[in-house]
Amino acid sequence: MSDQSASLNGTAVGQGRLALRPEALTWAVLLLLLVLPFLLGGSWIFTLGVCFANAIGVLSVSVLVRYGGEVSIGHSFFAAVGAYSVAVLDTRYGLSLIASLPLALALGVVAGVAFAWPSRRLSGIYLAVSTMALALAVPEMINNMDGLTGGYEGLYVSQPVIPGVKMGLQRYYGALIVLALVVYGLSRLRRSRQGLVLLLAKAHPAAADAFGTRRVWARIAVMGISGGIAALCGAMLGFAGSTVSPSGFTLWSAIFLLVGSVVSFYGLTLPRALIGGAFLTLVPQMLSASGAWIPVLYGLALLGVILFGHYLPRLRALARRKGGA
Amino acid sequence: MSDLFRDLFPLVWSGMITGCLYALGALGLVMIFKSSRVVNFSHGNVAGFAAFLIYGFSSGMLMELSWGAAVLLAVIAVIAIAFMTYALISPLVFESDLTATIATLGIGLIAQGATLLIFGADIVSLDLPIPRFGMSVLGLFVTGYDLTVLAVAIVTIAALFFVIDHTKLGVAFRAISENPFAAEVCGLNLRSVHLFSWMVAAVLGVVGALLIVPTTFLSVTTVAAFMLQAFAAAVIGGFASLPGALLGGILIGVLMNLFTFYVSPEFSSTFLLGVILLALNIFPNGILERVGGTRV
Amino acid sequence: MMDRTTKALTGQGIALSFGGIEVLKGLDVQFRAGEITGLIGPNGAGKTSLFNCLTGAYTPQKGSIRYDGQPLDGLPPAARASRGIVRSFQHVALSPDLTVLENVMIGVARNHHAGWLHAFLPTGRGRREMAGMRAAAMAALSELGLAQAAEKLPAQLPPGMLRLVEIARAIVGKPDVLLLDEPAAGLNNAETRDLMRSLRRLASPDLVMVVVEHDMDLVMSICDRIYVLNFGAFVAVGSPAEVRADEEVVRIYLGSDDE
Ligand SMILES: Nc1ncnc2c1ncn2[C@@H]1O[C@H](COP(=O)(O)OP(=O)(O)O)[C@@H](O)[C@H]1O
Ligand SMILES: [Mg+2]
Repeated sequence: MSDQSASLNGTAVGQGRLALRPEALTWAVLLLLLVLPFLLGGSWIFTLGVCFANAIGVLSVSVLVRYGGEVSIGHSFFAAVGAYSVAVLDTRYGLSLIASLPLALALGVVAGVAFAWPSRRLSGIYLAVSTMALALAVPEMINNMDGLTGGYEGLYVSQPVIPGVKMGLQRYYGALIVLALVVYGLSRLRRSRQGLVLLLAKAHPAAADAFGTRRVWARIAVMGISGGIAALCGAMLGFAGSTVSPSGFTLWSAIFLLVGSVVSFYGLTLPRALIGGAFLTLVPQMLSASGAWIPVLYGLALLGVILFGHYLPRLRALARRKGGA
Repeated sequence: MSDLFRDLFPLVWSGMITGCLYALGALGLVMIFKSSRVVNFSHGNVAGFAAFLIYGFSSGMLMELSWGAAVLLAVIAVIAIAFMTYALISPLVFESDLTATIATLGIGLIAQGATLLIFGADIVSLDLPIPRFGMSVLGLFVTGYDLTVLAVAIVTIAALFFVIDHTKLGVAFRAISENPFAAEVCGLNLRSVHLFSWMVAAVLGVVGALLIVPTTFLSVTTVAAFMLQAFAAAVIGGFASLPGALLGGILIGVLMNLFTFYVSPEFSSTFLLGVILLALNIFPNGILERVGGTRV
Repeated sequence: MMDRTTKALTGQGIALSFGGIEVLKGLDVQFRAGEITGLIGPNGAGKTSLFNCLTGAYTPQKGSIRYDGQPLDGLPPAARASRGIVRSFQHVALSPDLTVLENVMIGVARNHHAGWLHAFLPTGRGRREMAGMRAAAMAALSELGLAQAAEKLPAQLPPGMLRLVEIARAIVGKPDVLLLDEPAAGLNNAETRDLMRSLRRLASPDLVMVVVEHDMDLVMSICDRIYVLNFGAFVAVGSPAEVRADEEVVRIYLGSDDE
């Protein structure tokens, strides 16, 4: 399946080449976001907090594409695991994010690994179809565990991390900090031993095998990482968005995460993740009056970006030929 | 006979009937996959859109046509949609099947949005001119709906297999799904075969969608949900085998019926997930193309 | 024949077939440490398939494989790699996302074990590990004259250089068994000569080295022993001189100079 993953990446820019420039851009964006609450109104702060959370979700899907060469439309499952870890600890036990975020991460990793094991031999479209089945099962599971999850109505997340500080600011900065940490962790991963072998396993599983990396291990590792990040996304969606309910974790939410990932060209940097997150957060906001346009717009964006990625090399070549002549 | 088994026979029967419809959906998915290696995630949404079109054309919402004319128009519409879809994604098909598969999600989103925009989010009822009667055969209650579904499914599937076995396009389809490269070398046109399978699949989808509507009602999500069972059916059948899809459809229909009745109706999607994962693990050979390891 | 102290990679009666077609017909091999063994034969003879059986990528239907007396049968490729059995690939198998240096670093990855924490956090252990891997990879690249290409991506290099990177990745981890599949394919004369020199330097009393190669000059000049494979069976085994004199070999291989 190496040809698939290769062309999946053909759409995106290699990570190694981008090592220098975005570093500065990332810091600039981060600084801007840190001071933004002093310049903007409360509703914008709220929206941006949700946007950061969505950006984490976009990263979780992009990581799977970049390091696993696989596509998922089931990440709403892992997000739900994270979101309900936070919401349940909050409402039932009065525990704040300090306690629930590590739990969300751990459960997300466990869920990722638990799903990766039975699907370890699947790749490409077969895996995509199984992730679809996974996403479909989510709302049903949540509704049937209503003793814990609150069923259809959902749960409200209200415990502050630092008592006394305005909740609006906590929601904003909490999501931003977690997003920044995820981006940082992923940039470390790219330079780590595990990152290197995972990337080889994606391109040439047989070569990775021959150098001591079992491909099953690689798949499970990538799914664990991706599931953990998706759970962080869910946790922060709950915290920044203040409510958690099954309608936020449907097959459509999972497809939207993939749309965000494609729109950000599967990028793992802060600016790219923010583009994906903003797309998922701001488009529904702007189209709130006519919700039916949301899927249309997402669909068009998905197609547009994919076709753009497909024709870009050709356009470049054309431009070069024109320039040379 | 014990109570537990009193219901078994009727359950299996009605499961088989719905299963025939899942099979129609699955056959379309498999045809597209076999010829172009793309999983068409827009299948359910486009078929749902078509069912709404039939409602719109026959109810006076858009037009007031006879039932047959409405179906004909809707079929023409989905064939046009299939054509446009393929035209859009065909450059991707030749580059990466996974990217093309993601692109079909985009088409599905658009179809879903279009349905919402034109017909709204409300539930409508779409009445089919199906003979309404019921009779008891060997203790089994058989309805006109059952027989209609069975007849339509048998005729459609027989026609499909006939076309594949005996027409030029059908033979080309078989050749290309065996070995696209060799087939192309032999002068077969990949694109026309791809188009053929996309269009046939779209029509199969409409037939399946129409016949499932009487068992529930018509809303933006019903047909899409129905197609998910079709996905499961295709997966169980190995995704690359037409007879497999047929069998998978019937199996899913029966299994789902038994599960909802005997175990729990609330966990049917979770059950489907389990069935898919299990099937992919037990029969990876029908599913993973390569047997005997990668060449290096 | 072999004294007790010499390590060797041995195969007995290795038989492999795909869908009824016999690719390897019960091969007996003994690749000894301290020697460079050549494995030659026409295209499709089964050379790569034999490597695949030795490294565990293929599971032969019959026969057993041992290294240093220990049976390897049933061990997955990754486990054989951690016993020091390493190969290069006939079709270059580098990651397009990684730089040349990073690709070569993977060759030593199996000797390092820092956990996941060190992958995500800036720990001292993680840093030291990566620095060690980088130094080893750089040394291997320099040995093959590739130091200046270290930071390039594979897509930016010509095929001949990629093949050398492939070899660098195989030798960097100080393997006990080194299986090279057509290492000189695509190299020019000067590069081939440099490669021959490097391989000779690499040879050591503890290293089993097997080279599949079509370049007869290379094989004849660096190998101590040569196995000639045709249609999945050995037609000759011996020193370069013996093989060169073998009529059968001359007929099927050296005679027809289409290789
Ligand atoms: N995975 C496989 N499936 C089917 N046939 C194979 C496979 N691998 C190798 N073969 C066949 O085995 C024979 C030997 O191939 P190979 O070992 O690559 O030869 P060589 O490396 O000597 O050129 C060829 O006929 C090839 O077609
Ligand atoms: Mg070979």
